[in-house]
Amino acid sequence: MMMALARRLAVFIPSFLLLTVIIFLVIHIVPGDPIDQLVKAGADAATRDRLMAKYGLDQPLLVQYWTWLGAMLTGDLGESIIQKRPVADLILQSMPYTLTLGILSLALSTVIGVFLGILSGALPNSIFDRVVNAIVIVGASVPTFWLGLFLIMLFSVELRLVPVSGTGGALSLVLPTATLTLSGLTLVTQVMRQSVIATTRSDFVTLLHGRGFSRFYIQSRHIVWHGLIPIITIVGLQIGWIVGGAVTVEVVFGRPGIGTLLIKAINQRDFPLIQGALLMLAGAVILGNLLADLLQAGIDPRIRLGAA
Amino acid sequence: MARALVVRLIILSVALFLGAQAIVPSRAETSVTIGLGLGSQGAESYNPILATRIADPIYLVYDTLVVVDKDFNYHPHLAKSWETSADGLTWTFKLRDDVKFHDGTKFDANVIKWWVPKFAGGENAYMVEAIDSVEVVDDYSFKFHMKHPDPNLLFNLSFGYMGIPSPTAYEKLGDKYGITGAVGTGPYMLKEFVPGQQVTLTKNPDFNWPDPLTKHKGPASIDQLVFRDIPDISTTFLELQTGGIDVWTATAVDFLSRLKAQPNITLIDKASTGMLYLPINVTKKPFDDIRVREAVARAINQKEIRETIFFGTGREADTFLGAALTESKVDPRYLIKYDPERAKKLLDEAGWMMGPGEVRVKDGQELRPTLWVQSDTTLRRVAEMIQAELAAVGIKAELSTFDGTALRDMFKTGKHELAVREYGWSNADVLDYFFSGKRLGFPNISMWNDSKAEALNAKAMTGAKSWDERVKSFTEYHEYILSQFVFAPIHEPAEIIAYNNSKVRLPAAIPAPMLGASTFLDMELVQ
Repeated sequence: MMMALARRLAVFIPSFLLLTVIIFLVIHIVPGDPIDQLVKAGADAATRDRLMAKYGLDQPLLVQYWTWLGAMLTGDLGESIIQKRPVADLILQSMPYTLTLGILSLALSTVIGVFLGILSGALPNSIFDRVVNAIVIVGASVPTFWLGLFLIMLFSVELRLVPVSGTGGALSLVLPTATLTLSGLTLVTQVMRQSVIATTRSDFVTLLHGRGFSRFYIQSRHIVWHGLIPIITIVGLQIGWIVGGAVTVEVVFGRPGIGTLLIKAINQRDFPLIQGALLMLAGAVILGNLLADLLQAGIDPRIRLGAA
Repeated sequence: MARALVVRLIILSVALFLGAQAIVPSRAETSVTIGLGLGSQGAESYNPILATRIADPIYLVYDTLVVVDKDFNYHPHLAKSWETSADGLTWTFKLRDDVKFHDGTKFDANVIKWWVPKFAGGENAYMVEAIDSVEVVDDYSFKFHMKHPDPNLLFNLSFGYMGIPSPTAYEKLGDKYGITGAVGTGPYMLKEFVPGQQVTLTKNPDFNWPDPLTKHKGPASIDQLVFRDIPDISTTFLELQTGGIDVWTATAVDFLSRLKAQPNITLIDKASTGMLYLPINVTKKPFDDIRVREAVARAINQKEIRETIFFGTGREADTFLGAALTESKVDPRYLIKYDPERAKKLLDEAGWMMGPGEVRVKDGQELRPTLWVQSDTTLRRVAEMIQAELAAVGIKAELSTFDGTALRDMFKTGKHELAVREYGWSNADVLDYFFSGKRLGFPNISMWNDSKAEALNAKAMTGAKSWDERVKSFTEYHEYILSQFVFAPIHEPAEIIAYNNSKVRLPAAIPAPMLGASTFLDMELVQ
């Protein structure tokens, strides 16, 4: 187990460094800079140069990267150029909103997905299976912003059950969570279904049937547990999906969070803030995968003992 | 015995008091929720001295020395009166003596002496750049000694960045001023500010110094105002439908026809401060030929654009400046108007003859300029219509859409030819911003650098000693820009406010160019 941990960590550090390089480059290669946002029509031309120098944007890219990385290693994510506040503060302020939405959707989409997957897998090609399949495909193929607006139309405008947007109380969480859960359901359901079907056909299940155990006993005690192993990996991947979805969902539902923060920062080319927010989101994905790897190693001896 | 009686009496009176409290209903808090337009979202701070973006509510928290009306006349507010010396180097202001900040501290001339130097080093420093020093004459009068005349001073003093904060609160909160708290003299006090989300204001019960544009006297009648940033316009529209917001300060064109059809929604126009225009890169062939530039400008059908894309709202633009600005009143012969016959004639004269495929040709080259626009539904639609209008005179523009911020950087490379742009600003110095030879590429997308224009620019920007003289110089500069066809006017969009008329009533005409006290103090609850 310790070996597995050490191995994963050894990959984690270089991939994190690579991530910082990519984030930094992408932001600086895309045309546009934050100073255009700061300079107003009445300001003179010299103001622009003064501001470029003030925020170190006149330095060579390599120097800017090095400064950013160096500061980051000491825990300093820099200061937002537009908002004039430490990036870490802004992220910490938005984090609880994104975490609430993300964790809730992750948990719901996993639980519901596993449940639907088991039933579909146990009754392949039944009407139930087909209906679930249809719902799940729609959830995945419709863009989240559209799904979000559709749910608002239905539940807020027509039925008046929940508020359209904002953060007023627990009710305002219902639609964003439903949107993200629906769009995150597909992968879990499909994988669970396949996994259950595959396990049903495996030799040990045939053997169990041969020994005369009831169908329900085999399904619940053996097939389900066996089928759950790939789900752990999927949940790791799922974190990436949810995090990406949270960005659009937050904008559509006017919720504060890392997503809204990021979109605004991108539009304003607020470099330090984009870097910080992207790093958080990408970090969450890497960390999710790491956790999933470790969990899987814990459960599956084949992986734990280094066969993988 | 007597003590027991006293105790009983006390208990009885307390009980009666509590009972009375329970019986007499306390007046319910009144609250109105306002959805901010996209343009005024994203205020990062309510510290006017250092803020880089401000939103409408800043005009409710702070008062300014002077206020401006929608026709750009200046009126007294915290300053009762002012006069300027003949050489423009001394301004004397008299202040109201009955004003105090939300924290109870007194507003007087010493506040001004503290306030002006605070701008130094910040992004808004240019606003007070011309002021050399502040001299306190007595408690309620002061003088600005100027480094050079600045007729634009009144404009700056009326601007939200020059709302005056309480020195006590400002120094006490330090870095956090404007976020955790903000203290001004305005009709509403900052209760809570959640950046990027919403700002909650409660009424200032001591307010008794409204500006002359406001009809309502005394403290505000509505207890609380909540201003929300909703980043998605479809969501904002749905919030207005369901009563989540009562007022939407800038509706999107996409929803106009649907809002108009709803009986519980009232739409009112606010004086526009923006303009859509088409800059022409004069350094790119064939646009170095003024005849081709004029042909492009004359091919644009402002009427068609106004009617089809803007549903008949706003104004057909014929200059670079909004109709409210005096500098837009140019000699009629400089107005740029739709004239496709003249456009065709000019192209013929310039040697661009109609070739096969309805495209004009000269020396074997077809007239196929690029037309760049940022990814925005309305701007994109305008660009498509212009593409068709140009095609009607034989110019086949190739349309490309880019991310807005990326586009600005692309202009700096100077490779562009035609573009569709929009600006929002309410001062003639926007001419300097977009056409000065010092800012070629961006914001001077026309890449225009002309010695006569630079001389007129200098005269307008720094030569004037009074407001009238400044207006005259800017009008002259504006006329010269128009005569050179370095851009084509497209449309002056209306800024349209939508409100739920079953909840509130807004004044029929908004008296100021921005939504401040004169709008929200005169807003009434229905019933």
